[in-house]
Amino acid sequence: MRRGPWLWACAVLAYLFLYVPLIIVVVYSFNDSRLNAEWVGFTWHWYEILLNDENMLRAATNSLLIALVASSVATALGTMAGIAMHRYRPKLLPFMVITPVAMPEILLGVSLLLFFIQVLNLTLGMISVILAHITFCIGFVAIVVRARLAGMDESIFEAARDLGATPWETFKYVTFPLILPAVIAGFLMSFTLSLDDFVITFFTAGVGVSTLPLQIYSMIKIAVTPEVNAVSTVLMLLTLTMIVLAARFAPETLKSHT
Amino acid sequence: MRRLLPLLLCILSAAAWARDELHLYNWNNYISDATVRRFETECHCKLIQDYYSDNEEMLAKLAAGATGYDLIVPTGNAVEALIRSHALRPVDKSLLTNLGNVRSEYLDTPFDPGNRYSIPYAYTVTLIGYNFEKMRELGLPTNTWAVIFEPRYLQKVKGRVTVLDSQRELLAAALKYLGYSANDTDEAHWKQARDLIIRAKPYWAAFNASSYIKELTIGNIWLAHGYSNDMFQAMQDARRAGRPFTIGYGIPREGGVLSLDSMVLHKSGKRPDLGHRFIDFMLEGRNSSELTNLIGSGNPNAAALPYVTPELAANPAVFPDARQLQKLDMLRDLDRQQRRVLNRIWAEIKLR
Amino acid sequence: MPFSTITALLRTRLTRWAVSGPPFLFLLLFFLAPSLIMVLASFRYPGEFGGLAPLRDADPVVLQGLTLETYQFFFSDIIYAEIFLKSFVVALATTLICLVMAYPLALLIARSPKKHRDLMVLLVILPFASNFLVRVYAWMIILGPQSAFARLFNDVLGLFGIGPVALLFSPVAVLIGMVYVHLPFMILPLYTNLEKHDPVLLDAAQDLGANAWQRFWRVTFPLSLPGVFAGSALVFIPVLGMFAIPDILGGTRDMLIGNLIKEQFLGVRDWPFGATLSIMLTIAVLAWAGFSTWLAKKWSHGYA
Repeated sequence: MRRGPWLWACAVLAYLFLYVPLIIVVVYSFNDSRLNAEWVGFTWHWYEILLNDENMLRAATNSLLIALVASSVATALGTMAGIAMHRYRPKLLPFMVITPVAMPEILLGVSLLLFFIQVLNLTLGMISVILAHITFCIGFVAIVVRARLAGMDESIFEAARDLGATPWETFKYVTFPLILPAVIAGFLMSFTLSLDDFVITFFTAGVGVSTLPLQIYSMIKIAVTPEVNAVSTVLMLLTLTMIVLAARFAPETLKSHT
Repeated sequence: MRRLLPLLLCILSAAAWARDELHLYNWNNYISDATVRRFETECHCKLIQDYYSDNEEMLAKLAAGATGYDLIVPTGNAVEALIRSHALRPVDKSLLTNLGNVRSEYLDTPFDPGNRYSIPYAYTVTLIGYNFEKMRELGLPTNTWAVIFEPRYLQKVKGRVTVLDSQRELLAAALKYLGYSANDTDEAHWKQARDLIIRAKPYWAAFNASSYIKELTIGNIWLAHGYSNDMFQAMQDARRAGRPFTIGYGIPREGGVLSLDSMVLHKSGKRPDLGHRFIDFMLEGRNSSELTNLIGSGNPNAAALPYVTPELAANPAVFPDARQLQKLDMLRDLDRQQRRVLNRIWAEIKLR
Repeated sequence: MPFSTITALLRTRLTRWAVSGPPFLFLLLFFLAPSLIMVLASFRYPGEFGGLAPLRDADPVVLQGLTLETYQFFFSDIIYAEIFLKSFVVALATTLICLVMAYPLALLIARSPKKHRDLMVLLVILPFASNFLVRVYAWMIILGPQSAFARLFNDVLGLFGIGPVALLFSPVAVLIGMVYVHLPFMILPLYTNLEKHDPVLLDAAQDLGANAWQRFWRVTFPLSLPGVFAGSALVFIPVLGMFAIPDILGGTRDMLIGNLIKEQFLGVRDWPFGATLSIMLTIAVLAWAGFSTWLAKKWSHGYA
């Protein structure tokens, strides 16, 4: 097909634009200099500091724990929502599921802050962050599951019904195995989103609960050292793995953002 | 089974250890590790720290329901806000044997008369830090706020100046330059200050809270409005990195803002006894001096002076004399109407 | 009605509630309710020392109840409308730049052989795998005055006699950061749409004598409009509410609506005003969504 040299040039530039900054971050994480200015020499020094940084390790543990719990619950709820949206076409549910994803994050963060403090009188901490993360992750899982269901042949479900299966049996033996890739992809995406989330966590974390993004933010604002580069590289590797896995399981995840 | 027992003992002892915990909510980098370790050994307890980088951040987090802190180290105006919102436990002075070490000028402050709730910890002065060689080369004065607000000076350093990204601090600097008190709440005066700031803004590189230390040290920024202990750190960093310039800092002649940070006991803390021990510990001369030597913060403790390095002890920005002290104001808290007005003025400053 | 039909009906009803119930309830509690609380908060007084004043208090001296004063405050000065306008302009600029940058890439991927496409899409998504703060931080490094790029840039400018320009802490830095973070969101919907185009149409256009540019402008682009609008929505709306990027990369003038909102809650202890601003932002977002849907319908009518 028509792929002129002009098109190639623009596209390559776009790819470079996407990757060069990140490569710089990774490369400088091995740089033997406190400043991210010029290359001095190779060192593992910053990774050593990272592994010994108590605050960072605590933040990492928190991040992983929150991501695990939040994405598990969000996957369960999101799968249910996805099935419901496809099967029953409700009026209100799609709105409630998709809006937290579509709206600017700050609105959700701020409204949850208000809600937790004023209404629930909940001390901000792990629980508030987990609840907040579940709220915006449900949407992603639901969209992925629904997209998967939309691409399936309805006649399978009819056949199951004709053969006398109860709704639960249909779900267990027919629906679930078919949507399993989408569910797994949804789980991985939620996990990544939760791990990476900054804005909503910023408002709902309170004191004492630090996550990796919050830790990185305070480091950027206060004292930037290549330790930030090191933790960024590690985080990138982790989420990269998640996304590659998700893409393996359900390629339509990549396209069904809309 | 045999391996389980030592593990169990470890867990149990850790649990016992954990019960003697003191929760401290403090500024970033506001206590030296050596002090922490010595305290933990002395009291057989564990000090658990959380950090904030701004009074408002701390107040906002407390308003958002954060609990469990035994000790907090807020600045004067934040102490005032906390006292008025009934969030603090009164200090039991009978438990503090070293209270006499504190210099009288730092006691009995307007925000806590009689020191019912707060005991002074350290202070810092908001002032001007500068690249000494550059200032000399350009022939600029460094002892007045004019160098940050007057275009005739600013045009020589355009793009090389940063100011604090703090509503109260920046307004206070402008008010002091105009000859008013930093606690002046006259809206007309505030508007004057605002106009002064807007006029100078095009020459400033950024509104910055913390990364300006690095910028000064590298040599990107030649003039910074900031805290004395941050400037001290910049000076040391520049020296250690072998830079071809030195960082200096000084209190402008019009005066500045004195931020006195005090230790307070929060109502929700579970171990006020340990809290009092910590306060008394920090009132000892040697312990108190460690922070000063580490970050160059001002020290309200008379007993600490012998332990402070001579260079710092002689620095008038760290230990201002009586005459300079008179020119320094401690910020008071604002009420909600004033906060809203200040808010709007700040939006105008940022946008215009 | 026969009993079996009733139980069947009941069972379908039950299943429906069992499936859609839990997510519905969860979101009712943690999305809808907080939104309503926020609307309510915009009508309350700020607490004296933070938070909100009580709705009802036994002590009549204490400030309580509802008020319109926060909205009056919002409308009393043009400055807030200006901040909104500025945020809109930044969001629009980001969207347009993203569109121009994303289109060639999406087009290239769409026209590549099938076996390459998935890999190329993955390569687009991978940077998305990095934490958003990391992506912003990367630009702090690149645009910092000591970096090779900044020095080179200023050297080139110096050749033309223009003084050194600070790249970091400037509106340019904010724009670059916004574009960088949101570019994948524009590429993907565009690609999804472009992939579905039938090459036969372009062949027909060429046979009728259209040159490359005409083929693009008259055939490809109009057909891709749904993708363009989808991508624009995915970029415009988040950018409108962003605060972290101006916060980290911005200079003295870069305060957007997101920064203002954040300051109300975590800075100045004026929660009702923060709520008011959030309501205004929500209205702005809804208005924009409505407007672009209308625009999309209008434009695609001619080409549907």
